[in-house]
Amino acid sequence: MIVDMQDRAGMSQSWQALLAHGDAMCGKHLADIFAADSRRFKRLTRECGPLVLDISKQRIEEQTLGYLMDVAREQRLDSWIARLFGGERVNDSEGRAAMHWALRLPVGAECDVDGVDVAAQVHAELDRMEAIVNQIRAGQWRGATGEVVTDVINIGVGGSDLGPLMMTEALTDSRKQTASPLRVHFASTMDGSQLSQLLRRVSAHSTLFVISSKSFSTIDTLSNAETARHWLQRELGNREGLLDCHFVAVSSAVAKMTEWGVAEQNQMKLWDWVGGRYSLWSTIGLPIALSIGMDGFRELLAGAHEMDEHFKSAPWLENLPVLMGMVGVWNTNVLGINAHAILPYDGRMKELPNYLEQLEMESNGKSVTRSGEKVQWATCPIVWGNVGPNAQHAFYQLLHQGTEAVTCDFIMPARRYLEKRHNAAAPELVAQHELALANCLAQSRLLALGDAALVDAESMPAEKRYRGNQPSSTLLLDELTPRSMGALIALYEHKVFVQSVIWDINPFDQWGVEMGKKIAVDTLARLRGAECGATDGSTAGLVERILRG
Amino acid sequence: MNLDVYGDTLCALVSAAALASSGNTVRLHLADAQMADGLRTGNCPYREPGLAAMIAEQVQAKRLDFAGITDLPGERSAVVWLALSPDLLHEAHGIIQQLPLNAGRDWLVVNQSTFPVGSTEALQASLQARCAGGQNTCAAVSLPDLLTEGDAIAGFMRADRWLLGTDVDWARNLVSELLRPFNRRRNAIMLMQPREAEFTKLAINGMLATRLSYMNDMANLADNLNVDIDRVRQGMGADKRIGDAYLYPGCGFGGQAFSRDVMSLASTLQHSGMQPQLLDQVLQINERQKEVLFRKLWERYGTHLRGRKVAMWGVAFKPTSTRIDNAPSLKLLEALWAQGVEVHVHDPRALPALAEWAGERDDLVLHDDPYEAADGADALMLVTEWKAYWSPDLARLKAVMNTPVLLDGRNVWEPAFIKECGFEYYGIGRR
Repeated sequence: MIVDMQDRAGMSQSWQALLAHGDAMCGKHLADIFAADSRRFKRLTRECGPLVLDISKQRIEEQTLGYLMDVAREQRLDSWIARLFGGERVNDSEGRAAMHWALRLPVGAECDVDGVDVAAQVHAELDRMEAIVNQIRAGQWRGATGEVVTDVINIGVGGSDLGPLMMTEALTDSRKQTASPLRVHFASTMDGSQLSQLLRRVSAHSTLFVISSKSFSTIDTLSNAETARHWLQRELGNREGLLDCHFVAVSSAVAKMTEWGVAEQNQMKLWDWVGGRYSLWSTIGLPIALSIGMDGFRELLAGAHEMDEHFKSAPWLENLPVLMGMVGVWNTNVLGINAHAILPYDGRMKELPNYLEQLEMESNGKSVTRSGEKVQWATCPIVWGNVGPNAQHAFYQLLHQGTEAVTCDFIMPARRYLEKRHNAAAPELVAQHELALANCLAQSRLLALGDAALVDAESMPAEKRYRGNQPSSTLLLDELTPRSMGALIALYEHKVFVQSVIWDINPFDQWGVEMGKKIAVDTLARLRGAECGATDGSTAGLVERILRG
Repeated sequence: MNLDVYGDTLCALVSAAALASSGNTVRLHLADAQMADGLRTGNCPYREPGLAAMIAEQVQAKRLDFAGITDLPGERSAVVWLALSPDLLHEAHGIIQQLPLNAGRDWLVVNQSTFPVGSTEALQASLQARCAGGQNTCAAVSLPDLLTEGDAIAGFMRADRWLLGTDVDWARNLVSELLRPFNRRRNAIMLMQPREAEFTKLAINGMLATRLSYMNDMANLADNLNVDIDRVRQGMGADKRIGDAYLYPGCGFGGQAFSRDVMSLASTLQHSGMQPQLLDQVLQINERQKEVLFRKLWERYGTHLRGRKVAMWGVAFKPTSTRIDNAPSLKLLEALWAQGVEVHVHDPRALPALAEWAGERDDLVLHDDPYEAADGADALMLVTEWKAYWSPDLARLKAVMNTPVLLDGRNVWEPAFIKECGFEYYGIGRR
């Protein structure tokens, strides 16, 4: 089945070969493929550090990978990888490099870009963050009245929220004890929903706000920050040191931080060459470091760096990001599947689907090539997901028996509840973990094999039959730790990059999210009663209905 | 009788001296051999009235002798008296484990140490496990240390009450016999189960701590309401149902007896999932109270403390002590250091302990002279109310200080007088 690629004759040889192979493959059912090859798991499983990637439940054969790599070669994936890691301006529409990988370089690594020692720059900023993190974790960051700060509220949205939130939740078992209680909260929505709830629960005397915004002009974040500032002034009075004691900020716009009133020593910087959705490794990751400590944060970086090195140097047939990316291309462009579900079987990763929605769809949800032409093929599929066991009670019905083909990523840690803190309840909790693992394996098996996974399926009525042949990958982490999470997220980042190269699109800009914000400025004026120019009938009608009250 | 006292607490020294004074032959086991030498020559590490002389006297009379903490009891001894510090439960079991059981020797273990509730029963269990099948009869009883510093000898020799925790008849009789010389006016021995005796001791400390935290809470309110807490204190104390004791607000209490470990009934009640709710709160208020002087300083200087110099008078957890366990001074020091403040400390007796705790660091300077410590300071904090601090040479103090700001953590100075002398004064709920 070929979508958007009617004109094969005009295509390159490698694409033609891939599509011809696809014609041969698309009639095959995974149940038959498995039945025919007892060594399939061994052939189609790869490892890197703490991660195991099993693509044997994808609708491919070993030779498929060869065809895919030919396409990658033809698209010059090797030179694109070199350009990415060479600090070239791969984000061409904004004229910037994309060096999120540089945020994870070890101390002393050589990284010279345009005469700047980037690694040294990165570590200098990490050290600044460390000083702030240590002060807070030691119970020595003081509010304006001298109280110890016990609540930190991260105000940010998009990459300044999803990454830190996802990672802080995921690494909840890696939390390190602090000198006095320390709770980290997140407030993102522009309507103030989370912030208003939080402000009812915390004390102004002991709350520190982190304003996290790469541009420091995001209206969602700045409006939340304004609300926080006014709340503090109301609660504590307009006293000396109020802003210095209760606000730190992370941004690449130093002047704007200063103008807002963030003290120089409370400013943490990042750089133009980090995209928001790639920024959790930078000082944007402050909430993560507060939660797991700086040592834990550095392990997270090390895990990601390990994946960077693997992506750069491993042969493509062994290369996890390349394989995941190219299998995605196969599913999208050859099998024509346009939906992709992220299904972690571990409640700690409940924010991971949200995070990956942004990473994948904001990066590759594009339809213009790097040379400015309309793409002739499908790009990023619709990505969504939930914690697997909960999703089983929600949308798995569609996966099993709906009319849409969907690819899935099953993600799970092999071992869990080994931490000391779980000692007392360990046997029961380990049993629960085993239950989740069993469900993960069972679901991916049933999705792949369909009726073949059942006994005597033929005797069942039609509504109890399973079509199967839904392809999936399984990512097995040895344990959920800072290191394995670092590797996992870096894997997805690079997978997205690989796909962008094949689709010839820029994964590092996001022009599609700009205009709506601008139109909102006019609409806001309209809502506040100003006379404005014409608008569409629906908008005018709704505004009128709202104003009528 | 022959008996062996283990421990170097004030309780151990008082018990050993008192028991020797009534004719017993006592051997006091100390961890520190130098302390034994000192005690022989009338040098006592505790400034307890009459104690040094009494010990020297008993040594002279050959009824009191010394040994190491790991040494076995004497040949003719049948009573082991434990008065160890609260963190030495493990050592207590070690002493029990090595008691010689040959030739049918019987042992009475009297535990005066403040261990978690249930510890004496655990000691008895391990003692009896060792005796199982043999000819020996052994028991461990609880006799909590209830002494008041400054009045410790009288507290033993003419005790108001003894809490004796045992359910073994012969042990009760033997302890009664040992205490007979000190139990004459009326029978002051209150008999209960071992864990009840231990719990009573804890409940007493808890009540005292609660009164202090309550008063600190009141003092913080007084600060905001423009009320002088000292008048309130006197008014409250005049009520007979309340009484005067333990009503002084201050910058928090310390010491081992009030430590979280002791108060949390650790290792016994924790297994049942029980946590003392009020006591938790009391201790939390106290931890916060330890930083009260820091907060006053922080606000006084508009949150800008970096590079300032602060003098601290008194770091011991209470006057007369050489110890700094859980002392408010420690939390204050950490808070000041974290803000880049250089701290100059004077304390008559606790500087060695402080130096050991803090190690070598640039932002801590120790002084033998209190006025030298205050030299060039932006503020002076009085943290431990040593008597020598009560009437300082204010003119001299004002002359040496950079900024005359006094923070009185124990309300020992009179605000009006201090202000007249040209100082800014900050007390605990004082006006």
